Amino acid sequence: MKKLLLMCFSLIIVLQLWAQERVVSGKVTSAEDGSSLPGVNVVLVGTAGGTVTDVEGNYKLSVPAPGGVLRFSFIGLVSQEIQIGSSTNIDVGMAQDVQQLSEVVVVGYGTQIKQDLTGNIAQIKGSELRSIPVASFDQAIQGKAAGVFVEAGTGKLGQGIKVRIRGSSSVSAANQPLYVIDGMPITSSSQSSAEGATNPLVDINPNDIESIEILKDASASAIYGSRAANGVVLITTKRGKSGKTNFEIGYFAGFSSETGRREFLNTAEYVQLFTESNGGMTQSLTNRFNRYGAAPPGPAAASWATPGAPGYVDTNWQDQVFRDDAGINQLDISASGGNEKTKFFISGSNSNQRGIIIGNDLDRINGRINLDHQASDKFNLGINFSIARTFNKRLAEDNNFNTPIQIIALSPMTPVIDPRTDLISGALDLNTGVPNSNYPIYYNPFLDNAYAEQTTLVFRNLGSVYGEYKFTEGLTFRSDFGYDLLTQNEERYFGKETSRNSGAPNGQGNNAWTQVFNYTTNNFLRYQKNIQDHGLEAVGGITYQESNRKYSNVGAQQFPSNAYQKITSAADITSGTSNESAFSFLSYFARANYKFKDKYLLSLSGRVDGSSRFGADNRYGFFPAASAGWIVSEESFMSNVKVMDFLKLRASYGLTGNAEIGNFAALGLYTGGSGYAGIPGQSASQLENPDLRWEQTAQLDVGIDFGLFESRITGQLDYYAKKTNDLLLNVNLPGNSGFRTQTRNVGELENKGFEIVINTENFVGDFKWNTSFNFARNRNKILDLQGQIIQGSFISRAQEGEPIGIFFSPKYAGVDPANGDALYVLVKSDGTQTTTNDYNEATQMKVGDPNPDFIAGLTNTFKYKGVDFSFLFQGVFGNQVYNGGGIFMSANGDFFDNQTKDQLRRWQKPGDITDVPQARLFGGNGVGESSRYITDGSYIRLRTITLGYSLPASVLSKAKLTKLRVYVSGQNLLTFTDYEGWDPEVNSDTYEGNNVNQGIDFYSAPQAKTVTFGINIGF
Amino acid sequence: MKTTNYILVLMVALFASCNDQLEIEPQDNVADYQALTTSADVEALLVGAYDALGDGDVYGGNIQRDAELIGDDGEIFWDGTFQAPGEIWVKNMLVTNDQAELTWLDGYRTINICNTVLANIDLVTTDKKDRVEGEAKFIRGVVYFELARTYGKTWVDGNPTQNLAVPLVLEPTDQSNVSENVSRNTVSEVYAQVISDIESAKTLLPEVNGFFATTYSASAILSRVYLMQNNYAKALELAHSVIASGEFSLTGSIADAFGKGSTGSTSRISNGNATSEDIFAMQVTSQDGVNNLNTFFASADFAGRGDILIEQAHLDFYEPGDERADLFYDIWTAKFNNQFGNITIVRLAEMYLTRAECNARLISSIGDTPVNDINVIRNRAGLADVGSVTVNSILDERRLELAFEGHLIHDLKRTQRSVGILPYSDNSLVFPIPQRETIINSSLTQNSGYGSN
Repeated sequence: MKKLLLMCFSLIIVLQLWAQERVVSGKVTSAEDGSSLPGVNVVLVGTAGGTVTDVEGNYKLSVPAPGGVLRFSFIGLVSQEIQIGSSTNIDVGMAQDVQQLSEVVVVGYGTQIKQDLTGNIAQIKGSELRSIPVASFDQAIQGKAAGVFVEAGTGKLGQGIKVRIRGSSSVSAANQPLYVIDGMPITSSSQSSAEGATNPLVDINPNDIESIEILKDASASAIYGSRAANGVVLITTKRGKSGKTNFEIGYFAGFSSETGRREFLNTAEYVQLFTESNGGMTQSLTNRFNRYGAAPPGPAAASWATPGAPGYVDTNWQDQVFRDDAGINQLDISASGGNEKTKFFISGSNSNQRGIIIGNDLDRINGRINLDHQASDKFNLGINFSIARTFNKRLAEDNNFNTPIQIIALSPMTPVIDPRTDLISGALDLNTGVPNSNYPIYYNPFLDNAYAEQTTLVFRNLGSVYGEYKFTEGLTFRSDFGYDLLTQNEERYFGKETSRNSGAPNGQGNNAWTQVFNYTTNNFLRYQKNIQDHGLEAVGGITYQESNRKYSNVGAQQFPSNAYQKITSAADITSGTSNESAFSFLSYFARANYKFKDKYLLSLSGRVDGSSRFGADNRYGFFPAASAGWIVSEESFMSNVKVMDFLKLRASYGLTGNAEIGNFAALGLYTGGSGYAGIPGQSASQLENPDLRWEQTAQLDVGIDFGLFESRITGQLDYYAKKTNDLLLNVNLPGNSGFRTQTRNVGELENKGFEIVINTENFVGDFKWNTSFNFARNRNKILDLQGQIIQGSFISRAQEGEPIGIFFSPKYAGVDPANGDALYVLVKSDGTQTTTNDYNEATQMKVGDPNPDFIAGLTNTFKYKGVDFSFLFQGVFGNQVYNGGGIFMSANGDFFDNQTKDQLRRWQKPGDITDVPQARLFGGNGVGESSRYITDGSYIRLRTITLGYSLPASVLSKAKLTKLRVYVSGQNLLTFTDYEGWDPEVNSDTYEGNNVNQGIDFYSAPQAKTVTFGINIGF
Repeated sequence: MKTTNYILVLMVALFASCNDQLEIEPQDNVADYQALTTSADVEALLVGAYDALGDGDVYGGNIQRDAELIGDDGEIFWDGTFQAPGEIWVKNMLVTNDQAELTWLDGYRTINICNTVLANIDLVTTDKKDRVEGEAKFIRGVVYFELARTYGKTWVDGNPTQNLAVPLVLEPTDQSNVSENVSRNTVSEVYAQVISDIESAKTLLPEVNGFFATTYSASAILSRVYLMQNNYAKALELAHSVIASGEFSLTGSIADAFGKGSTGSTSRISNGNATSEDIFAMQVTSQDGVNNLNTFFASADFAGRGDILIEQAHLDFYEPGDERADLFYDIWTAKFNNQFGNITIVRLAEMYLTRAECNARLISSIGDTPVNDINVIRNRAGLADVGSVTVNSILDERRLELAFEGHLIHDLKRTQRSVGILPYSDNSLVFPIPQRETIINSSLTQNSGYGSN
């Protein structure tokens, strides 16, 4: 630890100043748009003297009294040489040379020229996220970055989104990346107290985002230390530029529908299948169908028996839960501008989304001000301030009778409106005066839509202030203070009509408040110096973060009527709780980048992370990384290779951690919840583990960046190997200790893979056609769990030697043609395989893997004059999905849940060759959890497609506009898949909380397919 | 260089000021080193020991339920979906039986709390110290007694100084000893600890102590312990002392013992309220505690699972007029039909039965004659006097009076009577050492009949 600090300091001490004669200063701007150019090399030709422009494009250089020649150079821009003469101020406008490799990339605590990167960072421009009709920006990056797997587990709005950067690096701790907005790690984990995870990233306005950088390898991410093992996502918001004030208005509106449906039996098929599974029509079956059909009880079969008869009902329940008026509209307004001293960016946004499922809405209002002010030559300061109000009407978790999709279990002969009451079926039983207890077959989720409401209202305020002091040329000190205040109110009310599900005869309500106050301070020094062929950039500093969460909840029952929904009206307060939790990180970080002759690159970085979460004996962890790059194309021997105009080889290695271990997992704890008969009591609840620490991932990355044919083709190839050890596992303790488990660092897993990125400019000139392709393959393997098998839900598990979340169960072997029995594979002790119709006897084995073999994205952009056209195909390949609802909905008539249409393929007579066993009511024929319910989940999706037209400048100038573009855009319009369910992009919200559970479909809502029409105006 | 100096000073200051920011105290829980600093803290921990004792897997019902399931020979029927009790009932337990695991885990959890109370006894103020120590020893002794007779051979089976029971852990667990591989102590060592703990508790505990353990609770349980050792003289002495204290009295009718109101119909008995005959009971309220006897023995009408059905074979044992035969509805026993009712651990009727049995065996009449004691029990059940009793007739009376209260297997074993075709000493009538434990702790030897690990 001490050594490291010394290292930090020595970095600083190295900084020296030397004698000067006179000073030339100036500003370097882009010749195209006048924006400041940071990072431009300014060299006094023929001497060792030189500097680099700062963030504002300013430079200041000591030159000999007689002057000389200054050379301004920047990769991708045309170099310029200018005689100093007697000038003291030389401003330069630099023109673009080659586009691709010159971009500035945001890195941890700074920026870097893309060409100089030795780590792997994927950059996504904010403009690529605009106007995509999804709830949050993380969903909008699907398919845009290699090795970044994004999955919206269900189509419910505002729900948690799974993001995996280069695979899953943890079995028990979180696998989501760290999100950092303008230097502040934000609260990104779900704050939902009920009904599935929510996504706090929903509160961020995608239109405020200038760029997203995804730090994938250790070289890029180790500066975020113990929280970087899952990758780091840096979000930079827009800032003003000096000059004329630019106003932008964007509006789009569109309509949505579901991407897919599953087909279920109609009434005739239902009656036919269950009559068969019952072994013929019996009186009790008639009674049952009469009951489901809302017919008066009696011995005679009612109208369900005769298609077309008066009163014959054939309800397609999916029609009831999928909205036909789903859609979105969004208005964005922004203004930016300023003068030399003060710049601003102001924005406002209002978005209203109507989900594709009844009762699901998401409305968001955002505002932001970003201000920068130059107080003096030495001192800059600024603020960022944003506020959001997000209102989410939520739905029940997938594994609840009141989740809308479970409506498909209802019998098709059941009418939507019960003719006996003219109310929604199930709302009232005239005989008892309370909701029906056995009609429809299950609780009707449609009742929730009418008589229940679950809302989450979030107020989110992100704010930060910074001051930056320039000590000398190249040496600046920056101090930030930022906070993220999240206040959430969750209200739930279930009226008496929902009592069959809620259990509360006169209504039930809940009111929960959550507040998360999360703040960060950063204090760091940046140093930049170019001396002849040597370029040095260094940053080092201290950061402290603390986050505190408070929560309270009160529950009540007995409401006089549905007109009263607040707790104050309840006669019985049934539950109440309050709790609080917090964590802190104190960290020291440093990075030094060295460049020699613009072709040899070296970068060292490290972070020392201390956290309140870590055990007393492991308070601090050290996370170093080293990387090197060689720009081969700068070598003289490459000058003859005309085709290859850029080639860089790079390699990195480093350590990162995962600190998502729970806030107090290391402490010995007592609980006050051990009262007895109303007398307060306490007892030990957790044994201390002073050794507890982060999971540690060592990552190797080797890569090639290249540019061909004057950078018409550019690309990036990477191979990586990540090995995570010290996995956090709950280890069994001897029972005689009085404790059951303790969280300890044991176990190992690895992720290996490669990524390919290729960007091409197929046509340049008036007609432009660009293609961007990314491809990633990741192999996950658990190496050591100390022999434990970690069982997930259904047939998911983690076990040694296999990828996380494999499916392990009996293997379905089809149907015995002789008798219609379901068969399973039985591996005998001698290794030979046979089949058995006894589920309990069948061999448990690996039957599937939910991890994709590879993922890919392909974007094509066309431009001709004012017309632009682009589309993005995104694909996930080689993964399997387990339908957890299969044993109910595809059970060959085992119980009266309506069945998927494929069950009509059931075995009926000896000799039938089929994969659906004989229909046997209560027969348990083939309905054990098995590979029968696994299907391939691969898909290719037309994620976005956009056609736009921008008015030419000549027309615009007359209207005093700078921009006017109209467009039509589609999201998820096409999906190519063999998946039999609603949507292959699925992971049920009931189970997603456990990393082992992946690729589980359980009555999960499909994604939305959306067409929008929009306009952008600038003036 | 001046600049650099400033920066150095600034950074050093930041380093120094931040370090203690990593110490964040939990708010919902208390750090262990802060939890036990006052007398009140230790007293609250003692309450935690009762809470642990009342856990569903300890005296919240499962220990009693399992004694009835494993001792049954056709008088009840397990109709539940839980696998573990089913295995116990058919006397074919796997080493992975989760009830075997949970009884072990939650039993030792209770013991560890008691050990912690005793290790911190000096914090307790003088006026309360005896009571607190007595209660902790009482609970620890009771749990070791149950563990010894669950996981070890019964006392009278072979040589108790060689037969293994469970490991004796008497010190609180901390990070330094949590991973120690303790070995099983012998049956006689564990019984010696049980007797030492409860004898000590008997001396330390007051006569009146609310619903917490009293000196009589200790005496009553001790009489049970000695009875398991066939030490009739000591069992007799203690049972008699409880009866003679006059602190407890039998309820007017058997139904009253189970909370039946004077006008209540049999099927609507509401039991589980404190009665004059309770010597020690686990308290259950709507807010806290669990009554797993209700869970498994009562029907859904009484918030139970209705898993244990009573067979006619059992009902046939009752004489005509026996009011205890009315304590049934449909196919269930009515003894536990209050979800939030207390669980009686020991009641006065048992003391009469123990005194009668011991006097009969020792041919003595300490307190009263066996026949008089039995007639007290019979009369209360609405039956006429008998003229004479034998040890066997006393045991039959005991079976009917204490049916489903967790005595069955133990009474069979101590009297060396078989369970159906299985002799009392059959391996399958002893629980396996949970596989979870034998995997973690290689020093634990498995019981005979459960494979080699």
